[in-house]
Amino acid sequence: MGIGFAVGVLGVLLLAHAAYSTIQYRGLLKITEEEFSGPPINVVVELLLGLVFSMWAALTVPGKFLSIHPDSEENRIVSLPANLDFMIFNHRGKAVLSGVNMKLKH
Amino acid sequence: MVTKTEETQLINLENQVENGGGGAWEYLCLVRKLKVRRSDKVLKHGLAILNDSKERSSLGSEEWTLNEQVAIAAMDCQCLDVAKDCINALQKRFPESKRVGKLEGMLLEAKGSWSEAEKAYSSLLEDNPFDQVIHKRRVAMAKAQGNISEAIEWLNKYLEIFMADNDAWRELAEIYVSLQMYKQATFCYEELILSQPVVPVYHLAYADVLYTLGGLENLQTAKKYYASTIDLTGGKNTRALFGICLCTSAIAQLTKGRNKNDKESPELQSLAATALEKEYKQRAPGKLSLLTSTLRSLKIS
Repeated sequence: MGIGFAVGVLGVLLLAHAAYSTIQYRGLLKITEEEFSGPPINVVVELLLGLVFSMWAALTVPGKFLSIHPDSEENRIVSLPANLDFMIFNHRGKAVLSGVNMKLKH
Repeated sequence: MVTKTEETQLINLENQVENGGGGAWEYLCLVRKLKVRRSDKVLKHGLAILNDSKERSSLGSEEWTLNEQVAIAAMDCQCLDVAKDCINALQKRFPESKRVGKLEGMLLEAKGSWSEAEKAYSSLLEDNPFDQVIHKRRVAMAKAQGNISEAIEWLNKYLEIFMADNDAWRELAEIYVSLQMYKQATFCYEELILSQPVVPVYHLAYADVLYTLGGLENLQTAKKYYASTIDLTGGKNTRALFGICLCTSAIAQLTKGRNKNDKESPELQSLAATALEKEYKQRAPGKLSLLTSTLRSLKIS
């Protein structure tokens, strides 16, 4: 969590710095009166690094992925809940379950 | 719906609680969440918490939920005194509550005084005619009295109003199956599959009913639904695997002597048989010979 968060912050900072560098570069081009053909290579590298860092952080920090397969252990339904709204009381429990000596004492 | 992970969790927690390892409250919460019927254990451990004043006060407002849970469990175990005490405590805390009114009706049911329970429920329904739980209790009451046809009638009336209630459809299907009215049961299961298409248990139950009905067309449909159960469970449902084998042999018996242009793939049965053999080898090696002889007799016929 801590490491992921730090990497995420670093990634966003790198992206911001890349943007700032590009603006600065264009300002420089205006002064020297050259055509803008593309950002310099170090800005591109910075941009890619920032992208990778932010992406990695966004995938790891919020939590683990859950399975969407219907047959995975977390999703595979093995039994239905007992239909408790329709439960009836005159069954064998009367004879089998012994709770005679239980008492609620408040 | 109880998934595999939740089932394992429940079993582990149950063992832990039964052996005095603590965690009774977590166990009771899980039982409530999964809606499983463990009345004897709920009564034992829930009552222990309720009788321990320190533990009880640490629950805060959850105490009343526990009171309700223990009351229902106690009725299920026929400990009517405990149930009465719990309901009285709830009654004192929530004097006007409908939910407590339902519990009182259930207590009358557990005592067997049906006419009084009926009276209690109808007075509750007068206040709120669309209280689903009370309608369901009436169905259950008819069933408990052995009056199945009345229960079906009530349930059908109920389902006309609350068509989206899956539990009620399931109950109706189970009642029909118990009366061997399989045609009607298939309708209920179709309804359930329509509303919850990814629950393998409904596919399996539907296939079972169709197989029981018999006839070539039904058997072929049953086979398809067994196959879809296998698809949804990843082949971990033994009953569906057996169903495939049985359906194939029954279809083969029916179509024997007819022209052999069936589109049925012959691999399905052999695949199911292999999966069964593998599972038996892994989990019950002693029964493997029994399985192979059964499968052999199915293939011959």
